Amino acid sequence: MKMTDREQDGVVILEPKGKIMGGPDASLLHDKLHDVIEHGKRKVVIDLAQVDWMNSTGLGILISSYTTLRNHGGELKLANVTDKIQSLLTITKLVTVFDAHDSVDEAIKAFK
Amino acid sequence: MKRPVIVGNRITVPSSHDFLPTVDEFVEGILRGWGTDESVIADIAISVSELVNNAIVHGSKMNAEKEISVEIAQTNGKARITVCDPGTGFDPARIANPLDDENLLKEVGRGIFIVRSLMDSVDIEVSVGGTAITITKTIN
Repeated sequence: MKMTDREQDGVVILEPKGKIMGGPDASLLHDKLHDVIEHGKRKVVIDLAQVDWMNSTGLGILISSYTTLRNHGGELKLANVTDKIQSLLTITKLVTVFDAHDSVDEAIKAFK
Repeated sequence: MKRPVIVGNRITVPSSHDFLPTVDEFVEGILRGWGTDESVIADIAISVSELVNNAIVHGSKMNAEKEISVEIAQTNGKARITVCDPGTGFDPARIANPLDDENLLKEVGRGIFIVRSLMDSVDIEVSVGGTAITITKTIN
């Protein structure tokens, strides 16, 4: 997995690419998220448009991001969830946890 | 650390997360060569990554001097993949239900549940020499 990040309207957008399957993938996103929090940012969108697939480690990373941000008074939203990842979110019931949007712009607008 | 060894449709790698992409590339390459649908390839790749992750963490206790093997075959329109590790196995019945409310936000504990959801069958065999988990999935 590779990852880029950018900021739009005060919202940090993380853009992982490839497959999220474990090992170094977890620390890459975890470290980036803590870097974001340390810089005082609390609104984060993870754009999944370019993630081919993820396994339970990837889902664990999303949960960790969700709870870490929430514990710091922040909020996480997902954007461009692919069919394969949506299917995993559904079978694991995590679809009830994450706030997912069809585009990054929609996710940004959804922050209050 | 040892290196990956490929013999036919079998790959043996050191028990390290560093080799997850190597195993994935190997398995996806074979499935693609068989003309498997990309969505099915993803389901199998996800499942294999779960089993290899478990083999690394639980079967080999993150000891890269130990080895994990993955073998893939095709029979009667089904892919059959076996992941072997030198560990003593686990009791699937003792895995907490990841769908229970108290487990929903846990970061781990969904691997086997996902494999069971995506594959046609999952067979776990524990012996003195280690643990072998075989999964099958219709590809044609």
